[in-house]
Amino acid sequence: MSQRQLGGDLTVAGTSAPVRSREFVGEVVGIEPIMGDAAVLSVDVPMTVVHGLRSGRFFEITCRDEVAFDPLLRRPYSVYRIDAERGRLLFLVRPFGRGSAWLSRRRPGDRLALLGPLGNTYDIGPTSQNVLLIAGGVGVAPMVMLADEAIGRGLNVTFLMGATTVPGLLPATELPDRVEYVVATDDGSKGYHGFVTDLAADYVRWADQIFACGPESMYLELRTAIGPHRIGRRPTVQVSMEREMACGLGACLGCVVETRHGMVASCIQGPVFDLDEIIW
Amino acid sequence: MSDELWTPDLTVDLAPNNPRELRLANPVIAASGCFGYGQEYAGVIDVERLGAFVSKGITPEPRGGNSMPRIKETPAGMLNAIGLQNPGIRGFIRKYPKLWARMSVPAIVNISAETVDDYAMMAALLDEQPAIAGIEINVSCPNIARGGYCFGWDPEMSADVTRAVGAATTLPLIVKLSPGAVDVVAVAEAVEAAGADAISLINTLVGMTIDVHRRRPTLGNVTGGLSGPAIRPIAVRMVYQVAAAVRVPVIGMGGIMALDDLLEFVMAGASAIQVGTGIFVDPGLPIRLIDELTEWMTRHGVRRLDEIVGAAQPAAARQFRFAGVETAGDSA
Ligand SMILES: Cc1cc2nc3c(=O)[nH]c(=O)nc-3n(C[C@H](O)[C@H](O)[C@H](O)COP(=O)(O)OP(=O)(O)OC[C@H]3O[C@@H](n4cnc5c(N)ncnc54)[C@H](O)[C@@H]3O)c2cc1C
Ligand SMILES: Cc1cc2nc3c(=O)[nH]c(=O)nc-3n(C[C@H](O)[C@H](O)[C@H](O)COP(=O)(O)O)c2cc1C
Ligand code: FES
Repeated sequence: MSQRQLGGDLTVAGTSAPVRSREFVGEVVGIEPIMGDAAVLSVDVPMTVVHGLRSGRFFEITCRDEVAFDPLLRRPYSVYRIDAERGRLLFLVRPFGRGSAWLSRRRPGDRLALLGPLGNTYDIGPTSQNVLLIAGGVGVAPMVMLADEAIGRGLNVTFLMGATTVPGLLPATELPDRVEYVVATDDGSKGYHGFVTDLAADYVRWADQIFACGPESMYLELRTAIGPHRIGRRPTVQVSMEREMACGLGACLGCVVETRHGMVASCIQGPVFDLDEIIW
Repeated sequence: MSDELWTPDLTVDLAPNNPRELRLANPVIAASGCFGYGQEYAGVIDVERLGAFVSKGITPEPRGGNSMPRIKETPAGMLNAIGLQNPGIRGFIRKYPKLWARMSVPAIVNISAETVDDYAMMAALLDEQPAIAGIEINVSCPNIARGGYCFGWDPEMSADVTRAVGAATTLPLIVKLSPGAVDVVAVAEAVEAAGADAISLINTLVGMTIDVHRRRPTLGNVTGGLSGPAIRPIAVRMVYQVAAAVRVPVIGMGGIMALDDLLEFVMAGASAIQVGTGIFVDPGLPIRLIDELTEWMTRHGVRRLDEIVGAAQPAAARQFRFAGVETAGDSA
């Protein structure tokens, strides 16, 4: 199916808007196992959606059949990678509950209702040379796209990845060659034996910026681990917060994160936040 | 049916007794709490095409809202306990009326308070503002003078609020009923007598879920408001009962996800409808409803929406209120 046909008169569960809107229809073109039970889902979308897309942003995906009301709400998914030439979005999907299990069962040719891109982005500062990326579990998704961006800008990238066991680790072949890739497993079956955040301390003085994506518990560990090695707020740390979402557009205020500036919608002013701005 | 070209008339006046009127181009309204302040969906749908939109609930003072989690999906629905996070009436007035002045779609302000005086105070402030088409009074709030008993559960308390707001403004007033009322019809009759220009219903139903892993209530606020398709039959029943008892226009809502759902509310007696949760799930829904309703009316030879408002009501109720309404059976 060509790009032009996609999103034209087609409708699937929960969509009807023309391509110009941020609500559109994509077509699944592939679903490949990648790590543990997680798969990479490739979706052809209108070219304009992919253009200029940056890491950290996400899409709200309808995860149910057209005639069903369950699960009712869309599920947010970070972009794992883009293929700008083909107009393709890649998502990393781990079957977890009902929505993600439905998404994991998609096959090439299936259509998906998407809303996005939503949220803010990870921001690499103009003077940064050395960047430290830290991923926990499927939190690896936006970190891969960020690694692509950083390497594209000629920066030095160290990528720390933690998982409970070996199958949960991202294969090194998924990352650009120039990335230094260091892994940790909770059971010690590969790499460092323990939390990935323990490794971060060694890089604090080297890094101009730290970027992380994983469960909230990982951010708390990270804060403790790097605290003694930081000079004031240097290096800065950007983290992506996971919240259950309804609208994805700042309308319902169901997804807020408490920051020094009050309760802010993580779908608009997030999901990426400065670690030091969040009230834990 | 003759062959002459015609397009159905979707317009509706929700405040026929008020000189300021509340005239809508079509009966599809974005519901309070589900559409922010009319700006959030700008890049997603053509907001100007809506019949109207209702703002998030505004309170006398700014509110930070409840602790997280604030939302929980439930079977064919969702619970929310946002806790009325909003900038307060003064913060609202500083920012939004001037943004709304650039839009042509009618903007309705939803207000919540814990005392009758506070409701009136907000109404008086709104009365002086440009670009506000009407006020929707959310009576689903605890009345602190009555030990926190919800205004909307009691006919007299709901009427007190309506009267006080009516004395403070000439803006069209919609009173939004709570489904938690012991007798929702009694509340509807009381607010109509107290001067409501229109009645909207239903607000969310109080519910809760328990996180069995943590052995605790899921929501930070313990309980939340249930919305979405799960509540629709209850909402349709309440609209049907209220519409038969009052003469002011009724605005129906609760779980509308498709044209047939909209038609259910209209045939139950609603002159307009609101879409809430459906917008989260399917932002294009309200605009699609307008298009599909136009197409449906054309196909069925319905020239004005009035012709089907209350079509499912028994004959006696139709005579009392829906003069001119014909059911499919009558007209075929
Ligand atoms: C900005 C953002 C980006 C995301 N990106 C990705 C991604 O790239 N890849 C990916 O696989 N997932 C991602 N997620 C998570 C994803 O959107 C789903 O929320 C998650 O997969 C659960 O949905 P479900 O329908 O499968 O589970 P449900 O059936 O909704 O839930 C199953 C169980 O898990 C609990 N639960 C649900 N959500 C969470 C949560 N967020 N944290 C803890 N417990 C929860 C529920 O309460 C329930 O007990 C992202 C989330 C956000 C907010
Ligand atoms: C997240 C959320 C926030 C809401 N906030 C308000 C509010 O501030 N004031 C109000 O009167 N109703 C509020 N409502 C209720 C809706 O306006 C509507 O009455 C209810 O959700 C039923 O309609 P629905 O099933 O189409 O959502 C809220 C509903 C939701 C889901
Ligand atoms: S999901 Fe509605 S405000 Fe963020």
